[in-house]
Parts: sequence; C-alpha cells; structure tokens
Amino acid sequence: MSRSYDRALTVFSPDGHLFQVEYAWEAVRKGTCAVGVRGKDVVVLGVEKKSVLQLQDPRTVRKVVMLDDHICLAFAGLSADGRVLIDKARIECQSHRLTVEDPVSVEYITRHIAGIQQRYTQSGGVRPFGISTLIIGFDPQDTRPRLYQTEPSGIYSAWKANAIGRSSKTVREFLEKNHKDDMSRDETIKLTIKSLLEVVQTGAKNIEISVMESFGKVTTLDLSQIEATVQEIEREKEQEAERKRSRLAATAAGQAAMMASSTPSTGGASEAAPGSGSGVQ
Amino acid sequence: MECQVALTGKGYVLVAADTVAARSIVKMKHDEDKIKVLGSHLLMSYSGEPGDTVQFAEYIERNLRLHQIRYLQPLRPSPAAAWIRRQLADSLRSRSPYSVNLLVGGYDIATSEPHLYWVDYLGTLAHVPYAAQGYGSYFVLSLLDRYHNPEATLEEGIETLKRCIAEMEKRLIVGLGKFKVKIVDKDGAREIEL
Amino acid sequence: MQINGGSVIAMVGKNCVAIASDLRLGNQALTVATNFEKVFPVTDRIYLGMAGLATDVLTLRERFRFRVNMYTIKEEREIEPETFAHLVSSTLYERRFGPYFIEPIIAGITSPAKGSKPFIAGADLIGCLNFAKDFVVVGTASDELFGIAEGLWEPDLEPEDLFETISQTFLNAVDRDAFSGWGAIVHIITPEKVITRKLQARMD
Repeated sequence: MSRSYDRALTVFSPDGHLFQVEYAWEAVRKGTCAVGVRGKDVVVLGVEKKSVLQLQDPRTVRKVVMLDDHICLAFAGLSADGRVLIDKARIECQSHRLTVEDPVSVEYITRHIAGIQQRYTQSGGVRPFGISTLIIGFDPQDTRPRLYQTEPSGIYSAWKANAIGRSSKTVREFLEKNHKDDMSRDETIKLTIKSLLEVVQTGAKNIEISVMESFGKVTTLDLSQIEATVQEIEREKEQEAERKRSRLAATAAGQAAMMASSTPSTGGASEAAPGSGSGVQ
Repeated sequence: MECQVALTGKGYVLVAADTVAARSIVKMKHDEDKIKVLGSHLLMSYSGEPGDTVQFAEYIERNLRLHQIRYLQPLRPSPAAAWIRRQLADSLRSRSPYSVNLLVGGYDIATSEPHLYWVDYLGTLAHVPYAAQGYGSYFVLSLLDRYHNPEATLEEGIETLKRCIAEMEKRLIVGLGKFKVKIVDKDGAREIEL
Repeated sequence: MQINGGSVIAMVGKNCVAIASDLRLGNQALTVATNFEKVFPVTDRIYLGMAGLATDVLTLRERFRFRVNMYTIKEEREIEPETFAHLVSSTLYERRFGPYFIEPIIAGITSPAKGSKPFIAGADLIGCLNFAKDFVVVGTASDELFGIAEGLWEPDLEPEDLFETISQTFLNAVDRDAFSGWGAIVHIITPEKVITRKLQARMD
C-alpha cells in the first residue's frame, strides 16, 4: 500500500511526481503526430492521419477541429478525451461571445483548456486528460498568427513552431534546425509538411494540413495540393543528394589524385567509398 | 407598440420589424435592429420586454452557432423553431420567464422550402404562411388574409409587405418610423431595402 | 383556457371510436393560425386530443411521445388505451400544484388480445379521469358540444354513421363558439384502420 502513489491521482510520490499525469504523457506520446508552424502572417497545423480501415468513413475521424470561427485545434493522445475537452472549449467560445460580445483570444481559450486539464490533475475521482493540444488562430483585430500548446499537466506555452505526439522530439529538432522567422504562406506549409515527413513514412495521403491566414480564414488543403508539395520536397531532396554525391565524388577524386601523386599506399581511397555511400541515403 | 410582419412567398420568407427602441413614452433610438440572423438560412425577429429580448435572442444565436460548430451543419428551420419554442416553454415555468415574442423565418435547403413560425412568450408555436406580432397584427393579418399568395414572386411579396407597413403607418396611433426588412431564400439571409 | 381557444370531442361507436378537434389557434380574440391540430396519434390505435393552453399542448405532445416510446421499448409491446389514460393522468397529477393548462381526451381501440373494444376517456387538467361510455368533450365549446352530442349521439353507430354524428355535433357546436372553429379534423379509429378527414367549416 505504501508504494501505491499512482492509485489516487491527487497524491504525490515522495520525489514530487504525479504518476497519473506522467502516464497521461505516455498516452500523448502514443498519439499520432501533430505539428504547428507560425509564419509571417499565416499559421499552419499539420497532422499525421492514421490510415482508416477499408470500410471506415474517413470523414468521421477528425484530429483537427474548429473551436470557433478563428481558432483551430489539433491534439495528440486519446481521441475520446480530446472530444470532451474540445466540446468544453467550444462552449466556452460561444459563452464568451455571449457574455462579453467579443470572440475569445487564442491565449484566453488556451488558458481555459489548460485550466481544465490542470483541474483534472488535482481533484478526486477523476483522471487527467490523455492529450496534448496545439491551438492556432488569430486574435480579434490583430494580424499576428498565434500558436500555443497545452499539456496533460495543465501547462501551456506559446511557440514559433512545435510538434506533439509520436516522435515529436525528432520533429521538434527538425523544426529547430529549419524554422525561420517571417516565412511566407508557401514556405510555412512546406516546412510543416517537410517536418511531418520526418515521421510519416506513407507520405501525402496520411497528412492533413489546415492553414489559417487571417481572422476566420481557414482552409484545409486537398490531397492533390499536399501531394504536389511532397513531390517538390522529394525533388529538392534528390537534388541535394545529387549535389552531395557529386561533391563527395569530387573530394574522393581529389583525394585519390593527392594519394596517387604522393606515395600510392594501400586502402586509403577504397575506404572512402562506404563513407560516401552512407551520405547519399 | 412594437410591430413585426413576416410572409412567405415562392422560395423566400420576408421578415420586417420596426426599428424603434422606446422607454415608456420616449423613443430612445430609431435604428434598432430587431431581426437576428441565426445562421446562413435562418432569421428571427423578436419583440417584448426590453432586455429580455436581446438577452434571449443572443442566447439562441450562440447556441445555434454552437450546434453548427459541434455538428458541422446548421439546424434546419423546423427543428430550430422547435428548440427555440422549447426554450421559451421551459422559461415560462421557471423563476424568471423571458417575455419575448418571435417570428422565425427560414429556408430549408434540403427541401427547398421557405418556412415561417409564429412563436409567443408562452412557447406557443405555429407554422404559418404569414404572421405578425404586436398591435400591428390586428390590421396586418386581415390584410394578408386578402392579399397573401404563397406562390408570389419576390416583387409581389415586397409589394404586399409594403401594403402592410403602409396600413400600420396609417391606422396605428403612434408612427413606427422606418422598418427594417430581411429576407431569407436559397441564397441565404440578408437585409434588403424596400 | 380561453387564451388560445380550441375544442376536442371523442365518441364511441360500434367497434369503433371517433375523435375530432378544431384547427384554430388564437391569441385572445385574434386568430393566429388555422392549421393547429390538437389531436395526435399515440400508437396506431390510440389518439390523444388536448384542448387548452397551446404551449402545453405542444409540450405534452412531446412528453407523451417520450413516455410512450419508453414504455414500448421497456415492455416490448404497444401500450393499451386504458394504460395510456392512466399514464396521462399521472403525468398531469405530477403537476398538481402548478398544472399544465390542458384537458386531455383519449380515444382508442384495445389490442386484439383484449377484444378490440372501443375506449374513450377524458380528464381534467390535474388528471382526474372520466371513463365515458358514450362521448367526452373538452375545450372552449365544451358546453355547446355537450348539448348537441347529448341530442345526436346514439349507441352502436357504424364507422360512417359515427363520422356523420361526430362531424355534425362538432361543427354545429364550434360555430356557436368564438374561440373554436376555422375547420376541423376527424379521425375514425377501427380495429383495421384509421380514417382521417378534414372538415370545411365557417371561417369566421
């Protein structure tokens, strides 16, 4: 009994952990990946879609949803928990409009969602929400795109670009390397898709992209548009690889020439070959 | 002294409401919009206790919007009217009932039919071809009995509506000023000038 | 009871019952709609009519539909007219000290297992049942309906004769009442089928 710190949610373990919250994190890590990227005046959500079963209606499986005219949310983790949290957020959006006649700001609704998530880590008889969310949108009378993240613990934070869910670490590292400030619409979409391709092996058909360009202007890209971008990315990668290969070949040739001009010892040139081969992949 | 008139025609509903906001004997405002657009193809005019009216209309507006966000499609006119009626019927037997009378006009895009509902503060709902609320109804309904035609074109419908408004101007003891008119048809809900 | 107006009547015939309502919906003396039916099917063999405050007519139609559907699902059989009458009674009595302002009439035929017998009943607004053998009336024209029905009704009328009797009774009664009329609808319920007819009436 003394060791069951993960039985009752509201009990700390001796080293200050709430195990149930950490288990909720596990659920998030198992969820499909979602990426949010902020550009100059655009913000993009990209999600990895699980491939639907043959007889399933793909329209009924949603990971990106509208909370209000100007706010979009994607989540990773338990879909059932997501649905409940989303409904609470939608009610708050309309309730806010009803009471103060203004739409919610992105930060406000993020704080509200995070507040709900926090409450479920501190009250009895409940378990935390097994989801992380990415929330994008525009504040009313404002042109700056917003991107926020919430976690099962109730933490929320603003980002330039971020990923949640399966392999989110890989994607985040990719984003850290490749994100630039003031990206255009196309660049932002491309970066989103590119980062998702790091973890989505099956390509365009398992990617869903939602683009928000200004207050209330949201578009979901069709498969053909995503496919076009994926092909473009692949082309670029190939060119890059081609360049690398030729450069490697050139270096190898140069080295070989240098080797040849000096003492023609054994192995030096042939050992360079496997190295260049791995660079091509 | 608030007055509202609505009528259906071939593929449309016209809803007209006066624009006066009055406190006792004083007109405080001459450009009050008493017709709310509740969705792409739904209109609701409201009258009654000041305060209650706007409060109730906004409550309805936000809940119908919530429905649309949740279920990705708006309620059709008949279920929307039934739900609104239920809100008033429940309110009637609550501690503080809303005293709001409504005309709900909608265009059902599934069946391509215009619908008009008369709703009072008790929660009485009637599906009607034409309707009116307020003192104006005593003049206007008899006029519509004579001139209403469910197959009328928009021009003819507007002509009938003008007749009704003229009659109210003529017979009602207090002038109601300008009427705001909104229409809902297959192209959605919007305001029109008479 | 006189805000919206309206009347309903039900009569027993030979192996059949009839129920009729007017179509007027008023707001005091002003007629708002002339298509407001006050009789609703409960099952294939039971009809419920309600006269009184129109908002309660609509609310109770919804509540009874809900309660009958729950009964049908739980019991896995159709409700009997008499059972339904008691359901109506208890639903109304729930609001003993803040009642729904309607008076109901139930007309139906019992199931074949119970002999397909005609059944009618009326109740007051708090659910005091009145099982009549001949006819029941409610609404703003109830006094007129009572008088004429008393004179015209006779036992063991065949469906078509019953239709004639209830129609004449109803039309002549509502013509003397300012709050009822503007057309009527009649349902004749027999063990085999229900015949529904709309009646032309004075429109004033």
